[in-house]
Amino acid sequence: MSKQLITLIVNGDSYELAVPVHATLLEVIRDELRLTGTKRGCTSGSCGVCTCQDGAGNAVLTCLSLAVEWDGRPVTTIEGVGRPGDLHPLQRAFLEFGAVQCGYCTPGLIMTAKALLDTNPEPTEADIDEALAGAICRCTGHIKVRHAIRHAIERLAGEGSDAEQA
Amino acid sequence: MQLPPFEHRQPDTLEACLEQLAADPEAAAPLAGGTDLLVNMKLGLTRPRTLVSLRRVPGLADVTVTDSGGLRIGAACTLTGLAEHPEIADRFPALQRAIRAVGSRHVRNMATIGGNVCLPTRCWYTNQSDQWRECRLPCFKTEGDVCHVLKSSERCHALNSSDTAPALIALNARVTAAALDGAREIPLADFYANDGVDHTVLRPGELVTCIDVPAGGARSTFIKVAQRTGLDYAAGTIAAAVEGKRKIKAARLVVGAIGSWPAQLHHAARIVCDQGLTEAGIEAAAEAARADLGEVNNLFSPSGYKRRLVRALVRRALTELKRS
Repeated sequence: MSKQLITLIVNGDSYELAVPVHATLLEVIRDELRLTGTKRGCTSGSCGVCTCQDGAGNAVLTCLSLAVEWDGRPVTTIEGVGRPGDLHPLQRAFLEFGAVQCGYCTPGLIMTAKALLDTNPEPTEADIDEALAGAICRCTGHIKVRHAIRHAIERLAGEGSDAEQA
Repeated sequence: MQLPPFEHRQPDTLEACLEQLAADPEAAAPLAGGTDLLVNMKLGLTRPRTLVSLRRVPGLADVTVTDSGGLRIGAACTLTGLAEHPEIADRFPALQRAIRAVGSRHVRNMATIGGNVCLPTRCWYTNQSDQWRECRLPCFKTEGDVCHVLKSSERCHALNSSDTAPALIALNARVTAAALDGAREIPLADFYANDGVDHTVLRPGELVTCIDVPAGGARSTFIKVAQRTGLDYAAGTIAAAVEGKRKIKAARLVVGAIGSWPAQLHHAARIVCDQGLTEAGIEAAAEAARADLGEVNNLFSPSGYKRRLVRALVRRALTELKRS
């Protein structure tokens, strides 16, 4: 089995790794780097629990990404979003609005929502529909998830204007 | 599900890429976004010995406006990148809508237009894991000699479910297929074959490098009907384009996900030219689509439903164009 030496840049940290050529980015993030916030679900691109952000902030499906194709390319996982005690507004809103039940889809949903809001801070409902089509939740029925995202949008907009006034 | 082992190449020129594909034409596959290929590899449906990555080949993802005002689209351009291109929304609405109908935003951030144009056909039997497929004998696509969709058939009836193919055909697109011995340009209308296994005219070792969409000036639209609004293959799609306002000079109607190739509705299109986008003309075109479709199988939906769906899609698409 051939292995290749690659450098993964995850949440700003560089990791030099020897990975099998057929390892997915998801497998390496979870099994080698022990960053287990990103989840295994369908492993075929249909559920979104494996979602991370690429260097441009786009939502990407790590289950369908080869680790060797990510040599030198930055990726952001859920571990790179907020910190305990200093949560990202999306994380805080998900907790406050009951948008977390079993929690399995939560990292993928937050990465998906973050990818949307990072480039489009004022999305329409249709924009949110489109962005979230690729990330499913079996517990919440998505209603509280949408409330949380709406609240996070307002929070982020408020923070923006606070910064301007400061 | 896990990927099987394979060799991975990352050529940094098109020449090297073509050499690597030609070195093992039956078992080397190009890798672009991988959102369909990797799934099929995990299912054991396809087992390429070598994946030749397009990531480092320069220029394959570029989108440029040509001197004649057309679009030259690099095959490795992501679907998201293409959908957001300023030229697409106003001038080629059918293409933009088709792109945004593919999968989900997540998928489109990685998937490429070339990958979607070349998308392998799909069937309830083949697109399952190899363990699942053991419930039946292998079929034409899985190294057997029967079709589980049409028992008496001599060929594979898997469906072409590419969303962008009908739109690009309706917009008179051409693809460039590159090989070691040179490149050739193929009108997309001639690119597909009515077969679930050999579903395009691409030869072993050939790679689609770009798609040219001429300026045209056609009004166009695209409609996808599916159970879900995202992450679903179509029950049926239609792309329609007409040129001319008072008098329709040219019309193209292409239906996807109904058969093994995108079906070009020639009779229906001729009726649109003859009778215009009148109520009677639209109705006549919708009726004529049945004859254009020919034989329709029961794959994923009953044939009667598919025929009625196509009639409705023709009506809806032409009515939209009439109002535009």
